[in-house]
Amino acid sequence: MPDDVIQLLVGGLLLGGIYGLAAFGLSISFGVLNVLNLAHGEFLMLGSLAAYCAFVGLGVNPFLGAVLIIPVFVLIGMGFYHVLLRPISDKPPHQLPVASILVTLGASLAIEDLTAFFWERPITGIAYSLPPLNIGGVVVSSLRLLILLFICALAVVLQIYLKKTFTGKAIRAITQCRDGAKVVGVPIASVSAITFGLAAALAACAGVFYVTLFTVTPVIGIPLTVKYLCVVVLGGMGSLVGSVVGGLILGLAEAMTAYYLGADWSPCAAFILLISILIIRPSGLFGSNG
Amino acid sequence: MNRGISAIIPIFIGLIISWSAIPAMAADVPDAVVIGATVSQGGHFSSEVGPFKRLMDAWAELINEKGGIRLKQYGKSLPVKFVVYDDASNEATTKKYYERLATVDKADLLLGPYSSPLTFAASTAGENHKIPFIAVCANSPKIYSRGFKWLVGVIDLGPRYTYRYWEMIKGEGKAKTVSFVVEDTLHPLGVFEGSKKLAEEAGLKVLSGEVMPADTKDFTPAITKLKKDNPDIVYVSSNIPFAINFMKQAKEMKLNPKEYHCIHHSGVFRDPLGDAADYVVGQSYWVEGMKLGDAALIVELLKRAKISEPMYPWAPAYVAAFQIIQAALENAGTLDKEAVMAALKSLKLDTVLGPEQFHETGYGMINTYPSQIQGGKHVVIWPKEAVTGEHVYPRPAWK
Repeated sequence: MPDDVIQLLVGGLLLGGIYGLAAFGLSISFGVLNVLNLAHGEFLMLGSLAAYCAFVGLGVNPFLGAVLIIPVFVLIGMGFYHVLLRPISDKPPHQLPVASILVTLGASLAIEDLTAFFWERPITGIAYSLPPLNIGGVVVSSLRLLILLFICALAVVLQIYLKKTFTGKAIRAITQCRDGAKVVGVPIASVSAITFGLAAALAACAGVFYVTLFTVTPVIGIPLTVKYLCVVVLGGMGSLVGSVVGGLILGLAEAMTAYYLGADWSPCAAFILLISILIIRPSGLFGSNG
Repeated sequence: MNRGISAIIPIFIGLIISWSAIPAMAADVPDAVVIGATVSQGGHFSSEVGPFKRLMDAWAELINEKGGIRLKQYGKSLPVKFVVYDDASNEATTKKYYERLATVDKADLLLGPYSSPLTFAASTAGENHKIPFIAVCANSPKIYSRGFKWLVGVIDLGPRYTYRYWEMIKGEGKAKTVSFVVEDTLHPLGVFEGSKKLAEEAGLKVLSGEVMPADTKDFTPAITKLKKDNPDIVYVSSNIPFAINFMKQAKEMKLNPKEYHCIHHSGVFRDPLGDAADYVVGQSYWVEGMKLGDAALIVELLKRAKISEPMYPWAPAYVAAFQIIQAALENAGTLDKEAVMAALKSLKLDTVLGPEQFHETGYGMINTYPSQIQGGKHVVIWPKEAVTGEHVYPRPAWK
């Protein structure tokens, strides 16, 4: 295989891994809570800014920062859920997504404007780099590779958490049947809050890597949320594996299209891919048909 | 007695008429020069000009401390007052506020918003309501090709944005090839189109011109192609976030041309890149230490407004705009809009950024200087009369 193609495949996969991590949290919050969280991108943005402060102020390595940030944002996410989403959680299933869109969109705009007001840095980014790997003439970004490995490890840890812990099983129970979970004594409100906290923490974790690779401004939240929504829909709502695979496919499609047809065709290719998969499989690649 | 009363009555009536006329006469003398503007305090342009309301207020404060702007017609100096709204970097919002500035706030002059797209939208208010409109950071030729009579712009047109850089490259005779990476938005595209011609006129061969969406995150395809082409100069025509993302990945993938040129490379460009920003050449209106104009005014206003020039490199262009406004008003001697517009059109002024004069279609002469990041500082490298350091070419390669 020509070096160019291998380079593109590697680049596309590495980018897709980042998409997957960011889409994880969105997938969880919709799959478990039936909440479409349009403030998801804001948690990513806030995670980025927190990582910047830790790196510049305390010299904390981004990978360590990603681990440290998880408990902080679990608490922030839980607080967000209790204040804004719990009051609407008893709405009928067909009304809850719409209500959650309205609430989280409003929250997103508020977070964006408040951050823009208080955070005076116009553009934020972390000057952190690692020497790349040269494997048979193909240059592989070791930073992006490490991020992809971190994401895979996180996915494994999450799967273990969902399968082996009581809270994880409770989360799965709520996903399968909310009323049934209530009947058997699962504390819906607190498990939902923990789930949302987890989703927020995953977004913030993605934000740590995002600010290491790209630039962040206070207004990136909503456009990113829309992009990751596409990844979630592509992979299947509520499926963690689907989020990762969806992200990888999207990253690859964008890279190959940009090289062979031009970068301006990339977004078009992404959407054609999304629509094609939804036509063949409306629930997404790994979504359940029920 | 009757004769006395008959004499007093006309005097009394005359006094009453004179007394009632005083408010009318006073109403003819404005109490301030009202300048209307918007600033992108929110939205994607806030990173470029977010705090610039403070800059406007700082200039108004400075002028008013000296008594204001002398206007002959009124026999006195008038204070300057800014009315500023947040356009949120949005065209529809910008257009709405400029209409408001023209019709509700009754601005005497309009100072343009940041960027060509917003200025394109905003300048129609000046034209429709016949109010002098001074565009600041807007250089798309489209703005000045509409035949507007009430519009002038501080800076030269976008296609000529980097003409001094290409003069330098031609003069040095070292670089032979160039490849362009272009953000698909109005200003970078305009600069690219002009730079492509200027590069060819300078004797360089243009190997490629890759136009990419503004939100591109993965540059692997473009960098893979560039590594194959191996140009002497990789020229990135884009706004800062795009340039930073490109440079980060270029370093990851060890793309090593002899020179990187990123048209916008201010302080916010350096910080996320660290040493990846070293030896990148870009364009600056002003760098501290340049022998150009009244640097003290720029320094004073930046200090009052608490704005850092490396973080907000467009601040000096706004200072030049303030000087232009003041000179035009003093030359016109009145707030009569036609007279002010005529004064603007015929203005010849040495500003903080060099000589200024407006073309008949409205655009100005002020242009940028090539500057290179050396040891974390911006160094102007051309022309000789303005340089603050030597051009390092070729750049040290990333190992």
